[in-house]
Amino acid sequence: MDVELLSPAGSFEAMQAAINAGANAIYFGVEQLNMRSRSSGGFIIDDIAEISVRCHAAGLRCYITLNTVMYEYDMQLLQGILKAVKEHGVDAVIASDFAVIESCTRMGIPLHISTQANVSNLESVQFYARFADTIVLARELTLKQIASICSEIKRRKIVGPSGEIVKIEVFIHGALCMAISGKCYLSLHSQNASANRGACVQNCRRPYKVVDTESGNELLVDNEYIMSPQDLCTIPILDEILQSGVAVLKIEGRSKGADYVHTVTTCYREAITAIEQGRFTPGLIADWMQRLSTVYNRGFWEGYYLGREIGQWTKTPGSIATEKKIYAGKGTKYYPKIQVGEFIIEKGSLQEGDVLLLTGNAFGMEKILFDQVLVNGEKQIKALKGDKITFPFAHKISATDKLYKLLPATDA
Amino acid sequence: MPKIIQYRDKCIGCGICFELQPELWRMSRKDGKAVLLKAAAKKLTHVLQVTAQQYEEARAVSEACPVRVIKLG
Ligand code: SF4
Repeated sequence: MDVELLSPAGSFEAMQAAINAGANAIYFGVEQLNMRSRSSGGFIIDDIAEISVRCHAAGLRCYITLNTVMYEYDMQLLQGILKAVKEHGVDAVIASDFAVIESCTRMGIPLHISTQANVSNLESVQFYARFADTIVLARELTLKQIASICSEIKRRKIVGPSGEIVKIEVFIHGALCMAISGKCYLSLHSQNASANRGACVQNCRRPYKVVDTESGNELLVDNEYIMSPQDLCTIPILDEILQSGVAVLKIEGRSKGADYVHTVTTCYREAITAIEQGRFTPGLIADWMQRLSTVYNRGFWEGYYLGREIGQWTKTPGSIATEKKIYAGKGTKYYPKIQVGEFIIEKGSLQEGDVLLLTGNAFGMEKILFDQVLVNGEKQIKALKGDKITFPFAHKISATDKLYKLLPATDA
Repeated sequence: MPKIIQYRDKCIGCGICFELQPELWRMSRKDGKAVLLKAAAKKLTHVLQVTAQQYEEARAVSEACPVRVIKLG
């Protein structure tokens, strides 16, 4: 089985975390032409070279998302990005707008059709196969529909531009949208912030009341979060997903941090291996679910894959992750000869027994125990603001690297 | 003098400022972001002195910007 595990990379840290955790490929966006243009700290065109070099050196493929609505005035920026994509050998462009599809075809850049194109049937697959070797299906299909599309592709030998059978990609984990993929205008109507331009303000994540405008009476709605779906988590049904014949498994989350990407990618990598080796057991599933629930999530359900008609809604505005990370400080120095890293505490305090989470460009995410560190050069039971901690570390540390303390979410 | 300020690097090029106040805004064909016409640029912050009327009009523009990078000063 050579299914591809595709992880999100919204930063170099997240990218490195995906590499370390065993992803086969990553996807990323640059500038404002991607569906996460609102998230801060995005990549710019000049980062494409480094992304490509680092991924390829580690044996991963990298794909760039260019899947927003495109306006006339975006064309030059688009061309600039595509030039860099071609020059640095990015493996494919993920697109939905025909301007992007047309340009890539002309330039000989491999294409993936984005979920934003809302491909929901075989005819559409056949249409897009003229341009793309991989097609991401709409997130609202059931596994039965997906399996039938996959088997028909094989039976009819639908090939992409490369001459290979077209690959089908599906989302396996992360946030879901309340609307049909690529067709939400809520954020645009309420705040002029087009979701299809990467600026979604997530109106659906808030609680609402229904008011009768004639009487002014408020109607009680069982769950106020009537539009906020829980997050997709397919680990319990991953074996069925693999059986459906899909070739690429995508994890959502380019606005998430390195710790999220690391945890989610690791769990799914382990699950894929377990399925391949015939030891996909309930015990293991429970363990992965527990680990997945430690990082950002709004509660899990298995999406529309099993044929549910109505989504499962959240009960709280934000994450119900069982662990939270609290910012504590940043990287200050690295001593390459003795392989020791140094961080300064800028906020709060650390003490014996604490689990420390480090994120950084060079290493992605690492966890260490407070018991492994020296405080200002000595073994101590506590470190306070202004103190410097040092510890053996195999990777370079820079000033943009961050140090967090990990706590159970209940200990505010 | 009233001022309009645009923090240009975070602009996502949605084009709503140009729609609402074409007198002061253009969409750049170079990088797809909004240009505050005749503004003085200090690094990525663009500042333009405007008339009282333009300032009043800019209130709606500032509110409409989805990423809130247009400020009044
Ligand atoms: S409204 Fe804001 S984001 Fe949209 S183009 Fe103007 S400055 Fe950019």
